Amino acid sequence: MSDEINNVILDVLAKHTEMDREKVSLDTRLNSVGVDSLMMVEIIFELEERFDISIPDPEFVGQNNKQFETVADVVRVVKELIEQQQKTS
Amino acid sequence: MKRIVVTGMGCISALGPDRAEFTRRLLNGESGIGPITFFDTGDSLVKVAAEVKDYDGSRLFPEKQLTQLDRFAQFALVSAREAVADAGLEFKSPLSGRTAVVHGTGVGGQGTQEAGYHRMFALNEKRIHPFTVPRLMPSAGASWISMEFGITGPAFATTSACASSGHAIGMALLILRSGMTDVAVTGGSEACVTMGTIKAWERLRVMAKDTCRPFCRTRGGMVIGEGAGTLILETLEHAQARGARIYAELIGFGMSADAHNLIQPLAEGAARAMRAALDDAGVSPDAVDYINAHGTATAQNDPTETAAIHAVFGSHAKRLAVSSTKSMHGHTLGASSALEAIAAIVALNNQTAPPTANFREPDPQCDLDYVPNTARPMHIEVALSNSFAFGGLNTALLFRRYAGV
Repeated sequence: MSDEINNVILDVLAKHTEMDREKVSLDTRLNSVGVDSLMMVEIIFELEERFDISIPDPEFVGQNNKQFETVADVVRVVKELIEQQQKTS
Repeated sequence: MKRIVVTGMGCISALGPDRAEFTRRLLNGESGIGPITFFDTGDSLVKVAAEVKDYDGSRLFPEKQLTQLDRFAQFALVSAREAVADAGLEFKSPLSGRTAVVHGTGVGGQGTQEAGYHRMFALNEKRIHPFTVPRLMPSAGASWISMEFGITGPAFATTSACASSGHAIGMALLILRSGMTDVAVTGGSEACVTMGTIKAWERLRVMAKDTCRPFCRTRGGMVIGEGAGTLILETLEHAQARGARIYAELIGFGMSADAHNLIQPLAEGAARAMRAALDDAGVSPDAVDYINAHGTATAQNDPTETAAIHAVFGSHAKRLAVSSTKSMHGHTLGASSALEAIAAIVALNNQTAPPTANFREPDPQCDLDYVPNTARPMHIEVALSNSFAFGGLNTALLFRRYAGV
């Protein structure tokens, strides 16, 4: 399951950044591969749809860019949300 | 006062993907109206529309851009690309800042709205696409045109239902006359052949069951169409300085409000818009040869417009050729004034009045020469294009053949 989540997130990122899938990894910094705030809303939307989760907005808009610095940050948040959902369901 | 000329035109409509097809079919009297194919019309009363057929946005726009483009904005761009290329313009500094974009639409991103609502209310989905807002906003067409060509002057959308692009072209004219810019990219776009739109129109009981037969005794109402038209307007001095080909001169613009009723038209309001255009141009009514009528083929519009033409033109009314090309490209709402302005210029440049297609028999209430079914070669020096919107917002555009002086 865990690897599957990683793979889905890496697939989604590769698709939106139009990069080769092999060139993105958990360590990839989002801003280094051209993920801007607009692309981020698309990626978040797609991940929410894929995993049926709701990714919260950052509490302060000023922190927006710091919410997800690397792919690993995205993976961590998505896994937390999936776990929470499994507990409540 | 600065003289303003048309130096580029582009369009997409049920008559075809570009202006060449539009012109050819318009002058052949061929109608683009047919059975609705975009959705199952089921038990709907309305089963016909003027759809843009064989259109594939993915052949024209990269995938990432397409996710941000409603169909109406795609049409706006398609028509603007053709018009800009036709005019031979490149928007480098300082021209980029000396160019305006004024592009109208009646409803904007209707398809996007409906897809979002469908997900929420029918499918009970939790969320709708993050680009719903930028896709549906009625000003998206104007924004995309400014971005595509790097135009940095005044840019905005106009909306006044079926006169939206008439107001757009009029505002562009005033901007150019004021000296604010030298060039304007103007027109309108609509992509409203959607289930929600058709169902909404259906209940107004103004829609034809078979086809659009303007000014005909057996007319059954209007037929919705989709598409876009863009004109490049330019000051005459700017056009001459760069040796541009000039299609026509936009000599007059008139607008008025009925101040009467949200749906029912008023002859006096329509007449005031036409008179205002004639006054603006400083030409007498008998200088006009051809009118591209609003001509929706509703019970109300056609006799009202006929009465208004009589009121403005007096004894000259009977000498006018008056046609409604909505019989061919449908009623494209916010794109209609732009497409019909192009139709009027086609008439000037081909010295041929396009016909009112699908015409069967005269209506005693509509007693003008509507050029039934067959285009007519004739001398056309000045052509008028009318648009009378729901809510009584009227525009009239007056074009003169450009003879190089």
